[in-house]
Amino acid sequence: MGDATLETSPDRSSKKKEAYFTASQGQLIWARFKKQKTAMVAAVVLVVLVLSGLFAPFLSPYDPTVAGRDKDYLNGAPQIPQFCDKNGCSIVPFVHPVTRERSIETNFRWVEKVNEDERVHMVFFVKGDRYKLFGFIPGSLHLFGMEEGKIHLFGTDSAGKDIFSRTLHAVWTSLQVGTIGVLISFVLALVIGGVSGYYGGWLDSIVQMITDAIRTVPAIPLFMAIAAFVPADWSAEMRFFFISMILGLIGWPTLARRVRTHLLTERNQEYVLAAQLCGASGGHIIRRHLLPSFTSYIIVDLVISFPYMVLSETALSFIGLGLKDPVNSLGVMLQNVTKADVLLNYHWYFIPVFFFITLVLAFVFVGDGLRDAADPYAEAKK
Amino acid sequence: MFNFARFAATRAAMALVTLVIVSLVVFSLMELVPGDCAERYLAYKNTQGQAITLADIEAERVRLGLDKPFLQRWVSWLGGAFQGDFGESCILRVDIAQLLGSKFWISLSVCLGALMLAYAIAIPVGIISAASRNAALNNVLRVLSYLGLALPNFLLALMIMLFATVYYGNTLTGLFSPEYKDAPWSWDKFVDLAKHAWLPVFILGWSATAFALQTVRALMSDEIGKLYVTAASARGVFGMRLLWRYPARHALGPIVNSLGFDLNRIFNELPVVALILTLTEAGSLLLEALARSNDQQLAGAIIFLLTASIVTLNFATDVLLAAIDPRVRKSILR
Repeated sequence: MGDATLETSPDRSSKKKEAYFTASQGQLIWARFKKQKTAMVAAVVLVVLVLSGLFAPFLSPYDPTVAGRDKDYLNGAPQIPQFCDKNGCSIVPFVHPVTRERSIETNFRWVEKVNEDERVHMVFFVKGDRYKLFGFIPGSLHLFGMEEGKIHLFGTDSAGKDIFSRTLHAVWTSLQVGTIGVLISFVLALVIGGVSGYYGGWLDSIVQMITDAIRTVPAIPLFMAIAAFVPADWSAEMRFFFISMILGLIGWPTLARRVRTHLLTERNQEYVLAAQLCGASGGHIIRRHLLPSFTSYIIVDLVISFPYMVLSETALSFIGLGLKDPVNSLGVMLQNVTKADVLLNYHWYFIPVFFFITLVLAFVFVGDGLRDAADPYAEAKK
Repeated sequence: MFNFARFAATRAAMALVTLVIVSLVVFSLMELVPGDCAERYLAYKNTQGQAITLADIEAERVRLGLDKPFLQRWVSWLGGAFQGDFGESCILRVDIAQLLGSKFWISLSVCLGALMLAYAIAIPVGIISAASRNAALNNVLRVLSYLGLALPNFLLALMIMLFATVYYGNTLTGLFSPEYKDAPWSWDKFVDLAKHAWLPVFILGWSATAFALQTVRALMSDEIGKLYVTAASARGVFGMRLLWRYPARHALGPIVNSLGFDLNRIFNELPVVALILTLTEAGSLLLEALARSNDQQLAGAIIFLLTASIVTLNFATDVLLAAIDPRVRKSILR
């Protein structure tokens, strides 16, 4: 309300007031959310990351699997496109070609030599490895590539796979794992928490006791016991869905408790009583009054539990129970970092770590911002 | 006073029931792991060059009581567990109580230390973050706390180790110096442990901070807008004094209440950190038992001890809260 009264011109103020009072819940939340700078920055970053994950096949120059590997550039350092070198400048960015050789002079180790006199120019919208966008639109157009040879913005790994391409695909995989996990735990939480909160009484006590018992069992052994069933010959995709399902099946109790607590307090509110006195049916009250009262909380909870899903995936992959190497997930990428020669020699393996940190931080800050925005009393405070 | 005793008794009974349910879950989980103790032990003997027949496996099953029905085995396991007797380890063939020894208590202390560290950071930062309008300070504090969540703890452990090795020539791994490893407990050994344990406590604590901070911040911002806070500030109470004496008291109730589950979350991360820092305690034993040797008895014992600690902590915090806040007492006794 603070905004509307600050306005001096009476005409505009009344219009603004009208807009305020007729705004839907979503519009109000968005208006409050926009005011928070940190959350907005985080939201922009998040949208960029999600989009780059979604369009990863197009944005990344090569196939992230072994099919797209560069066998002449194993464990290669990142190549940064430049516009100028000692021979002058060019409008199209270029890199210097690299040759590797191994001979008696180099002590039989691979040594890379950058040829500074030659240039390989970048080309844009180039045909390359085939892919399927969103899983079904076939294509082979890539945002950028090279005239000849390959470019590796983030370097390559020990198999010659392009780390830039892998990272973009990994972001997408991890987001998918998180989404499936969050959705499953969300449905479970809504049903279990909903039943427990709506009916209350002894049913509530029993459900709560079981929920608490499940919350008490530590998740890692749970994961491990379940993972022991995963046959070794399962394909990467099967594993992937199985892991996301497990994450969802274990993650519901916290959310279920929140839904239940909220329903318990909401069903005794005056507006529910008022609706009942007006003769509204039970279904109408739930749909039109109870659900809108806590959808915003649910959305916030979903956003907040998202990074925890992504984190669980990385932890699982790290102890070797989650996704394995041919799949590109952030967990797999992080696991690669822990080898000793990577720590000492191949620092570009760390680049996906920054993507991971950014993703988690963006989610957490958007979650915080949404929570503040969804709180209808937030404005009265200030 | 009578009321309070009744509350404590009810709560204790509930804790016991929870523990029994959890033990059933844990026991079933351990049963679900393919193969049983008898097969595993004899498979091991097989590798030692002894010929094993099916009859041998059956005989071993009978000796271990594995031929009895599930429920009966669960009851006898539970009965033993409450007396601190977890039977023998499947693979190592030693008494589990002896094998675990003080290791479980060390792990528990490390986790409790991390829990304390997390709230020592989260409570003040959360209160400031919810109350202050100094955006810059607020954001710096939040980024620092959330970094603990975003930096995977195994990576953090690795980086610190690398740094320490390169600059100080000390790897910071393990829990004891070699000379204290097998020594009986003494003050010096304790000091030695503290010198080594700060690193896992720090890593686990930092990553637990984010979740704690989110909770504190959410609860505080819910409470801070309430009328009694406005009333108190109208009476002239202000600053930290206002925050501490009014909204913080209410906001911290639910947090004290969920300490047990926080402990669970921290213990979850312990095996990963233990793996990297080569800690010899229950977390790494658990990982070993579950991921490599499939030692159900050992894993079950560790998980049972952990859940018992969580249930006990939940019980203690509930009783503590009830002692302070009469409303909590009434919520269970109607």
